[in-house]
Amino acid sequence: MSMRRRLLFWLLSSVLAGGLAAAAVVFFQARYAANEIFDYQLRQLALTLRDRTYSPRELAEVLQGEDALEFVIQVWGPDGKRVYASHPKLDVPGAVQLGFSDLTTRDGRFRVFAIQQRGLTIQVAQPVAARDQLALAAAGRTLLPFVVALPLLGWLIWRLVGREVRFLESTAKVVASRSPESLEAIETTRVPEEIQPLIGALNGLLARLGTALAQQRQFIADAAHELRTPLTALMLQLQLAERARDEAERQKAHAMLREGIARAAHVVEQLLTLAREDPDARKAAQEKVDLAELARAVAQAHESSAAAKGVALRTVLDGPVVVEGDRAALRTLMDNLVDNAIRYTPAGDVTIKAQGRDGEAFFEVDDSGPGIPVAERARVFDRFYRGETAAEGGTGLGLAIVRRIADRHRGAVELADAPGGRGLAAVVKLPLAS
Amino acid sequence: MRLLLVEDDSMIGAAAQEGLRREGHVVDWVRDGREAALAIANGVYDLVLLDLGLPRRDGLSLLRELRAKGNEVPVLVITARDAVADRIAGLDAGADDYLVKPFDLDELSARVRAVLRRRSGRGKSVIRVGELEIDTAARHVKWKRREVALSAREYALLEALADRPGAFHTRAQLEERLYGWDEEIASNAVEVHIHALRRKLDAGLIRNVRGMGYTLAGES
Repeated sequence: MSMRRRLLFWLLSSVLAGGLAAAAVVFFQARYAANEIFDYQLRQLALTLRDRTYSPRELAEVLQGEDALEFVIQVWGPDGKRVYASHPKLDVPGAVQLGFSDLTTRDGRFRVFAIQQRGLTIQVAQPVAARDQLALAAAGRTLLPFVVALPLLGWLIWRLVGREVRFLESTAKVVASRSPESLEAIETTRVPEEIQPLIGALNGLLARLGTALAQQRQFIADAAHELRTPLTALMLQLQLAERARDEAERQKAHAMLREGIARAAHVVEQLLTLAREDPDARKAAQEKVDLAELARAVAQAHESSAAAKGVALRTVLDGPVVVEGDRAALRTLMDNLVDNAIRYTPAGDVTIKAQGRDGEAFFEVDDSGPGIPVAERARVFDRFYRGETAAEGGTGLGLAIVRRIADRHRGAVELADAPGGRGLAAVVKLPLAS
Repeated sequence: MRLLLVEDDSMIGAAAQEGLRREGHVVDWVRDGREAALAIANGVYDLVLLDLGLPRRDGLSLLRELRAKGNEVPVLVITARDAVADRIAGLDAGADDYLVKPFDLDELSARVRAVLRRRSGRGKSVIRVGELEIDTAARHVKWKRREVALSAREYALLEALADRPGAFHTRAQLEERLYGWDEEIASNAVEVHIHALRRKLDAGLIRNVRGMGYTLAGES
C-alpha cells in the first residue's frame, strides 16, 4: 500500500477523531450548563407562581407571553383535581414527588419541578429535547472548523508527503537506471536522515558486489591469458602435423599434439576445480574422512608417474586420522601437492605423511627438489603465479586450489624446508574430527 | 637465416623450432632470459624471437638492455600480453614487430620474413641478382625465368649469399647461418652445397676467392 495514502488516511482520521472528541466534550459541557440554567429557571418560575396566589384566570394572564411550548404548567387543587393547564392537549402526568424529577410521556421526555402551597400543587415541566438541541448546536459549532479544514488539510498532507517521498522516487530512479557495471556508491549528502541507513546498506552491498565482480573479472582475464599458452602450442602442433612430409614426422607431430591436448585439458580441469572451490559457492559436503587412508590411495595413484621420473614415493601414515570434510576436495588437495612434489623433484624422494597430534590432523608432502625461496613462498599461493623456478607444464593454479580447499575446511597450509634441509615441505593442518 | 628462439614453454618452443626449421631457418632455442642474453652476445643471429614472460630475466628488460648497448639485432616479440599498452611498451623498448599468442606458423614465418626484409632494406619479398630470382616468401628460386628445385640447405645458403650480393662470406659464417647448436656439421658441408648450387644454377654464379670467402656474382 502506498505510504502516501496511508499517511493521508491516518492523519485525516486522527484530525477527525480529535474534532469529534472535542465536539463530544463540548456537547456534554453545554448540556450540563444548560441543565443548570434551565433547572434554575424552572425552579424560579415555580417559586414565582407559589409566592402569589393566583386564581386560574390570573395565572393564565400572568403566563401570557411565556413561550407557548417551553414550559408546561399545571396546577392541581387539594382534591387532586387539575385546576389549571397551560397546554391542555399535552399529557404530562403529575409528578410523583416534589422537587425535580424526570418524566417520560407519550409526548417525549420532560424535566419537572413540583411544589405545594396551601393545598395547591404547582408543577412546571419543560421538554428535555430543548436542552439537547442547545448542547448539540454548541457541539456542532465546535466541530464545524474541523470538518471545513479537513479537505484543505488532506490536500496539504498529500502535497507535503509527496514532496518528501519524491526523494525516495528519485533515489529509486538512480538505482533503477544503474547498469551492472556502475557500482559506485549512491550519494548520501542530500538524503533525509531516515533514509540514510537504507542508502548506507545499499552502498555497502554495492561495494561488496563491486569487489566480487572485480575479482571475477580478474579471474576470467587471468584464465583467458593462461589458456593462451596451451592454445598457442596446440595451434603450432596441429600445423606441424598437417604439414608433416613423411610418416615419421607425422607421428612425432601427433605425439606432440596429444601431449598439448592433455595439457590444455589439465589447465581447464584446474580452472574448473578452482571455480568449484569458490569459498562462497557452497558448504563443504561434511563426512568423516580418514586422511591416512586417502593418502594411501593418492600415493598409489601417483606411483607410476613417480617411477617414470625416478622418484621414490614413500608414505608415513598413522592409524586413522579422521577429519570432517569433503572427500573429493581433500583428494584434489592431496593430488595437487603430490603432483607438484613429483614434478619438481628431478630424481629423488617424495614422502607423503598423514598424522594426528594435539587435536590437529597433519597432511604433509616432503620432496628433495630445489625447494622454493622463502621470499617467494607466500606468493606461490596466488593463482597463476609461476615462480622463477617454476617447472614445465604447471598451470600456476595447483597451490591456489590447495589453499582454497584448506581454507574451506578451516585449515591452513604452509610451506617450509623439508626435514634434512633440502627440498620443500608442504604442510596442511586440519582440525581433527571430534 | 639463423634465428634465436627465446621461449620458456617447452611445447610452444619445440613446435615453433620445428616449424621454422621446416621453413629452412636454423633455429636455436633457449628457455630463459639469462641464456638468451648470453646467446645474443655471440652476434650470430639474424633475428631473435623473444617471449616476454620469461623466468630469470624478463624479456622486456633484456630487450631494453640490448638496445641500450647498441645491439641492433632484429627482435620479434612474442607474448600473451595483448593490451595496447603492452604492445606499445614492447615496440618502444626496441622490438621490430610484435606477435600475440595464439599465433600460427604461417603468420610467424611471414613476420620473420617481413622483419628480415625490412632490416636488409628491401621492401619486397623477391630478391633479384642478375638472372637469379629468389622469392623469399614462397621459397622459390628461378634461374633465367626457369624454376629450380633446391633442398632446404641449398636454399638457405643461396639466400644467405643473396642477402648482400657482392659481399664475401667465410665458410665459418656460412656454417653458422646454416646449422644450429645441436647439429653435426661435416667438415665439407658448405662446399658440398655450393657444388650442388653451381650444378643446378650456373657454374659461375658463386665465386670463391682464396682468403676472402664466397660471394654471389649474379652474372655468368
